[in-house]
Amino acid sequence: MTPEQIFFFIFGAFTIAMALGVVLAKNPVYSAFSLILCFFGLSALYVMWGATFIAMIQILVYTGAIVVLFVFVVMLLDLGRGVSAHSHSWMTVLFSALGVWFFSVLLLRTFHHSPATINAGGFGVDQIKTISNLLFNEYLWPFEVLSLFLLALIIAIYALTRPEPSETTPNREGRGA
Amino acid sequence: MTVQPVYWTHYIAICLFALGLLGFLIRKNSIIVLMCLELMLNAANLILVELSMKNGTPDGIILVIFVITVAAAEVAIGLGIVLNLYRIKGTVELDAFRSLQG
Repeated sequence: MTPEQIFFFIFGAFTIAMALGVVLAKNPVYSAFSLILCFFGLSALYVMWGATFIAMIQILVYTGAIVVLFVFVVMLLDLGRGVSAHSHSWMTVLFSALGVWFFSVLLLRTFHHSPATINAGGFGVDQIKTISNLLFNEYLWPFEVLSLFLLALIIAIYALTRPEPSETTPNREGRGA
Repeated sequence: MTVQPVYWTHYIAICLFALGLLGFLIRKNSIIVLMCLELMLNAANLILVELSMKNGTPDGIILVIFVITVAAAEVAIGLGIVLNLYRIKGTVELDAFRSLQG
């Protein structure tokens, strides 16, 4: 095995182990920190493919903004006391696992039958220049639509989370549904 | 070793997607369900980056940038909804959210 393959294996195993930690951790704070480490492993994989710009974006946006938002909400909600026992039946777990397994096998067959043509064109050195040329010429219209989408998102989040003026107690209806 | 690293990326992405889907199906905490959604989106991003770098065309990179933007938006609005539900119900467990107009 070349050193590149060894590093690839290490980073891939690290990413998958951290993803397992996200799924299996009982405390949401541990899940969030496993998610941070999983994104760092993914960023290392992007670097090994040569996509350095996306690796930087991954660390800046995902671990800098998204997971921090998760940690912020988890700590805001104070969920430590309400960790309940997982009470799903074994039927749910069994059939979920079966469905996921079938889907994974389907994906695996699909990717192995895809044509593996390697052009090796390479746009390594001036990657940001290539990406921004493409983004602001050919993909300009989706980019502008995305900016409108973000504006609508800001308005929607304000409408969702603004404090109600008449609301005084946090639990209006109690715990039962 | 005859296994190429090209296929290892497929295996890693499929494992990530399967773990995210499994967590999405069996977890009850709505915040962790949102995190599993992020895992699935990242598996798709990994495949896109790999194919884009393998073929030498940067279109997949552009698509990954769009996916990251939409993922950030989705997390922001999902956590806003979770905050509102916690304010109303006092919990974030998905089994507690059973009633419409609750």
